[in-house]
Amino acid sequence: MNRFGLPPQILRLVLLTALIVGTYAVARTLLTPATFGQYGHYRGAALEETASRKPLFAGAKACDECHSDVSEKATKGHKLISCESCHSASSAHVRNPDITTVKLTDNSCLRCHSSDPARPARHKQVTTIEHYPGDHCIECHLPHQPNKSP
Amino acid sequence: MKPSCSRRRLLGLLAGGAGWLASLPFARTAKAAVKNVFASAKTPDGYNPTKHHWLMCIDVDRCIGCGLCAEACKAENAVPQSSNYFRTWIERYIIKKPAPGVAALRGDVIVDSPNGGRNGFPPTLVPKAEILKAFFVPKLCNLCEHSPCAQACPVGATFDTPDGVVLVDPTYCIGCGFCIQACPYGCRFMNPDTHTAEKCTLCYHRITRGLQPACVEVCPTKARIFGDLKNPTEKDPLQEFIRHNKVFTLKPHLGTEPRVLYANIDKEVR
Repeated sequence: MNRFGLPPQILRLVLLTALIVGTYAVARTLLTPATFGQYGHYRGAALEETASRKPLFAGAKACDECHSDVSEKATKGHKLISCESCHSASSAHVRNPDITTVKLTDNSCLRCHSSDPARPARHKQVTTIEHYPGDHCIECHLPHQPNKSP
Repeated sequence: MKPSCSRRRLLGLLAGGAGWLASLPFARTAKAAVKNVFASAKTPDGYNPTKHHWLMCIDVDRCIGCGLCAEACKAENAVPQSSNYFRTWIERYIIKKPAPGVAALRGDVIVDSPNGGRNGFPPTLVPKAEILKAFFVPKLCNLCEHSPCAQACPVGATFDTPDGVVLVDPTYCIGCGFCIQACPYGCRFMNPDTHTAEKCTLCYHRITRGLQPACVEVCPTKARIFGDLKNPTEKDPLQEFIRHNKVFTLKPHLGTEPRVLYANIDKEVR
């Protein structure tokens, strides 16, 4: 019997339990990331990490800052289309205007306007072997206002 | 012989150590509470996930199958170039006329998605006379209310964010692939470089900066409708979409409660 009035085997058991619980508490504190549980049962910092990627597509607003004349033209023709749909991802061009966007070809038009039975009937479609074969689209259609001719 | 450490001293030290250890979790909780007060619940650029709830809806009638969305998604999110990996893709459904003499409304259904529709669609080999109808269906993560992928993950690497996105924490993901099997919509894949599961994040890095997801940005027909349910604008695109369309979800019988709504979809689509 010791000063706590406990048999020695019980005291040893109590100390061992305290040690195990204490080790668990320390391990849990050290191993759980700081932001775990911030929003739910996951690491809150994962949201920031996912969000930390740099966007490649700058968005139509960024284009409008310098090219408002072109986007004005497009409101009378290809009005639903964002600039980067055809001109490709342009955030590099926004940061440094010397970096140009991709060059467009007939395929840029045909990607949407070649005829396909799955396309809605109201969507304008052409069969290239019937519709002025050999000519380029922009010979007859202004890209931003395709109903007008150059 | 006198012991170097008395029993009194040893017990005192042990008790003190145990008390200190026991107080650690409480100290951590207190620390987290204090941190929360000082605006830690925000991403660095002032974005607060609890103040938004994003949603994308699809108007199948508007999709022309140009594949710009699939291409933009690959570029924006550095998705592996191989045709096995997609965060969003387009399927072409061709429903044939029933064979002569067969009492059926429709014949065979042919679904194709060459390279996810990323380079557009080649002309179909089905003769026009045999086609009853055809349409394109863009696919992406269905943002399920009861996500099977999040339930299947054994390490809690997949989770629902407060702003309505299902994300993967790549530092937790062990690459077991259970979530890929669990997703009934086939919206996940194993990244061959990182060996972690990947999926549509609704372009989380874009929407937190006030931009639209890449696929929505480039869609030339506005077949993808995107908005914030917690901050509806005047003439909110999502509310207009719900008002003017009869909407459906994919595979409703599975009870996953997808949040992504499809308008003008046919029963063949799954």
